[in-house]
This record gives sequence, C-alpha cells and structure tokens, in this order.
Amino acid sequence: MSGLDPILIVLLYASLAAFAAALGVVPHAVAGRLPLPVLGWANALASGLMLGVAYSLFAIEFSAGLLGGGLGALLGVLFVRLVHASTGTTDLDLNQLDELDPAYGYQVVLVNTLHSAYEGVAIGVAMLVSLPFGVSMAAALAIHNVPEAMILTAIVAGRGLSLFHAAALAVATNLSQVLLAVVTFAVVGALPVLLPWAVGFAVGALIYLTLAELLPESYREAGHTSIALVTLIAMGIVVALGGAEPIQ
Amino acid sequence: MIETLAANHTLLVFLYALATALATGLGALPFLFVRHVSDRFVAYSHAIAAGLMLGASFGLVSEGTMHGRLETLGGALLGVLFILGTQRFLAGYDEEELVFGAARGESARRMMLMMIVMTVHSFSEGVAVGVSFGGGVTLAAVITIAIAVHNVPEGIAITAVLRPRGVSVPRCAGWSIVSSLPQPLMAVPAFLFVEAFRPALPWGLGFAAGAMIFMVLVELLPEAFLEGRRAPVAMVATLTLIGMMLFQRLL
Repeated sequence: MSGLDPILIVLLYASLAAFAAALGVVPHAVAGRLPLPVLGWANALASGLMLGVAYSLFAIEFSAGLLGGGLGALLGVLFVRLVHASTGTTDLDLNQLDELDPAYGYQVVLVNTLHSAYEGVAIGVAMLVSLPFGVSMAAALAIHNVPEAMILTAIVAGRGLSLFHAAALAVATNLSQVLLAVVTFAVVGALPVLLPWAVGFAVGALIYLTLAELLPESYREAGHTSIALVTLIAMGIVVALGGAEPIQ
Repeated sequence: MIETLAANHTLLVFLYALATALATGLGALPFLFVRHVSDRFVAYSHAIAAGLMLGASFGLVSEGTMHGRLETLGGALLGVLFILGTQRFLAGYDEEELVFGAARGESARRMMLMMIVMTVHSFSEGVAVGVSFGGGVTLAAVITIAIAVHNVPEGIAITAVLRPRGVSVPRCAGWSIVSSLPQPLMAVPAFLFVEAFRPALPWGLGFAAGAMIFMVLVELLPEAFLEGRRAPVAMVATLTLIGMMLFQRLL
C-alpha cells in the first residue's frame, strides 16, 4: 500500500466510504417501508458517528494553530448556516416521507450532497495527520453514510424510485465527499499552514450539521432514551476505532 | 504530611462541588425580574449547558483513552447504565398522598417528580466532579465551571415548575440548591475512590463522560429543541462546544 501515491490512497478510501452508502437500501429491500422509530435511530446513529468524528478531530494534538483551529471552526459553523439560509433549507425537515413537492426532493438531495462535502474535508485532513487516522476516519464516515442513505432511500422510495436508483442516488450524493477529500488532501498538503483551519472547519461544520439537521428529527421519531443510547453507542464506535491518539 | 494533603484535597473537592450546588440556586434569580421566563431563554440556557458538558466530556474521554481506551468505553457504559437504572428505580416509585408545599395531587406529583429527577442527576454530577479531580486539577476546574453553569438552567427549570404553583422565589432557590446537594456528598467518595485506585481512572473518566453525554442527549438537547427553533439552538450549542474545546486546549 505504501507504494501507492498518497493521493490515490485518499481517493480509494474516500470512494469506499462513499460507496458504502449503497448499503443504505438493504434494510428497505429486506423489510420494506421502515417504521418511524427506525428512521429516528438511523438519524441518531449518523449523529453519534458525526459527534465522534468531531471528537477525534478535537483529540488531534496540535503543536500550534489553536487560533487557526478556532477561527476555522467558526468559519465552518457560519458557512453551513449561510448555506442553509441561502438555499432555504434552514428549517427543512429531512425526514418527510410523504412530502411529494418537487422542490422538497431537490432540497433533500442538495442538503445531502453539501453534508457529504464537509465529511470529505474531515477525511482529507485526517489522511494528512496520519494514514491510520485517515483510515479510521473513512471507516467512521462509511458507517455514517449507511443510515444517512437509509433515510434518503425512505424518502425517494416513497416517490416511486426503485431501490437500485435509490442506491445510485445515495452514492451520487456522497461523491462530493470524494472530491473534497482529495482536494483538501492536495491543497492543505501543499500549504500545511492551513491544516488547523481545515480541521477547525470540519469540526465546526459537522457539529453544527448534527445539531441542526440530524438530532432534532430523531427526537421526534423515537423515544429520547433510545435516541440517546444509539447516539452514544455510535460515538463509542468512533472512539473504539481510535487512530486519533496518540500522535507524537 | 501526605495525609494532610489528602485531607486538604478532599476538603477542596467538597468545596468545589458545594459551589456548583450553590450555583443551582442562581437559577431562581431571573424569576425576581421576570414574571414569565421566555421559552427562548430556557432553550438557549439548555443549549449552552449542552455545549459545555459535551465539550467537557470530549476532554474527559481524550484524557481517559490515554490511560486505556477500552476501560474508558467500559466506564462510559457504566455511567449510562447508572443513570438508566436510577430512572427505572424512579419509575417504579409508588405515588400516593402526594403533598408539595400548598399543592396536592397531580400538581404536587409533577413538582415532586421534577425535584427527584433533578436530584438524581446531581449524584452523577457529583461523581463527575470528584472523578475529574483524578484527571488533574485544571480539568477539575473546567468541569466545575461547566457543571456550575449547567446547574443554573437546572435551577431555572426547577423554578419554572415550582414557581407557577405558588412556591416563593427564595424557596425555589432553596429547592434548587437541595437538588444539587448530592454533588458535594458524592464528589468526596468519588474523588477518594479515584485516588485509591489509579487503574480505575479511565473507568471513572469514562463514567463521568458517559453520564454527562447521556444527560445532554436524553434531556438537555430535547428540551432545548422543544423550547426553541432548531437553527439558533444548534448555533448556540455548537459555538459553546467549540469555545469549550478551545478553553480546554488553552489550559
């Protein structure tokens, strides 16, 4: 593996994470239309993995760059907020299975695509920190993509799309993740001074996304205790995957 | 000499935890100025507490995994089970002849439930304070501030339930502090346990993190989202969490 060009390694792992989204149609194929609490748990699983990813980025030891990290995080939060505002998706309910308005369909796809882009930044910076950290990050996001695709499938299946097309759409919305992973790896690799900024950006964007998009939905779909448990288990998975520490 | 030091530390832990308990009483103070605390106010204070506690837990977990990753995860599991077990015990409690202040029946039951839930939380918070001293005094100070700040909206929440049912503001402050008294009581044995059993440190740190994150997810965030619009709530919680991360890095 060490013989491969590093950028190809990033491309490979980011692509694997993106294609994992196709697995999101499996529950639908097996069980048909999913009950609401299951979608809530899928949201919680995705949320916990996201918070875990933010944690493992936080756990990276910087020799310097606290200011860049902080400002980058602020930028990340504001960027996502601005994108929500400018696309009219601030209060978008991402789990409306019976909403058939065409505008809703493109908004959901848009939000999912942007969501994946920030995850790509996380893979890119993690790969720059170290290969094991990058691989554990890609693994965490690959798992994250499955429940996310489950929810997307539930929406588009309700609109009459076949499961094969749903799987293709889920992978397609995650291609932005591959692009951003490679671009982040190349650009920040060439300008290492940007690393804390990029890490901060990913942390800020991912935490804000989790709290603004994923968790509020899940609380309406299943009991608070089960949502909290699933989210915690998912966070635990990321901590167990490790790779973030120790980096000397 | 060492015994004196240990005794001093124990006293310090007790005082820190007592301070966080007293901070709960501050939650009653806004009710002196406003007849009706707005939903948004409750939402944002919950969001701030959520951000602080998540940030503090991130610090605890990163400290814990340096001593042992699996132990930290095991401790987190125990922390969650502890709160779940306590909730279960509470659910089985018999409720008859309920009297709370001047209130009776359904109203008294709701007030009592609120007090019990808030007091039960404080046990794990006390454990968190005590355990956090095992992770170094700087971390303990961070946790103490986090929990003290978190306690203020708890005091607000308690007061918000008691005040409309005829309890005076000073009494609401008193009940708020009472709900947090398990903190100093639990902090001391938790601190002594961590000191005595160094290998248990990652378990203790994980326990505190698991209990705090669970509390954030099962209670603070749903409450915040219930009372406020999700974009500003998410914004307040995220910025607080980022601020908390940076704060811990600076220490």
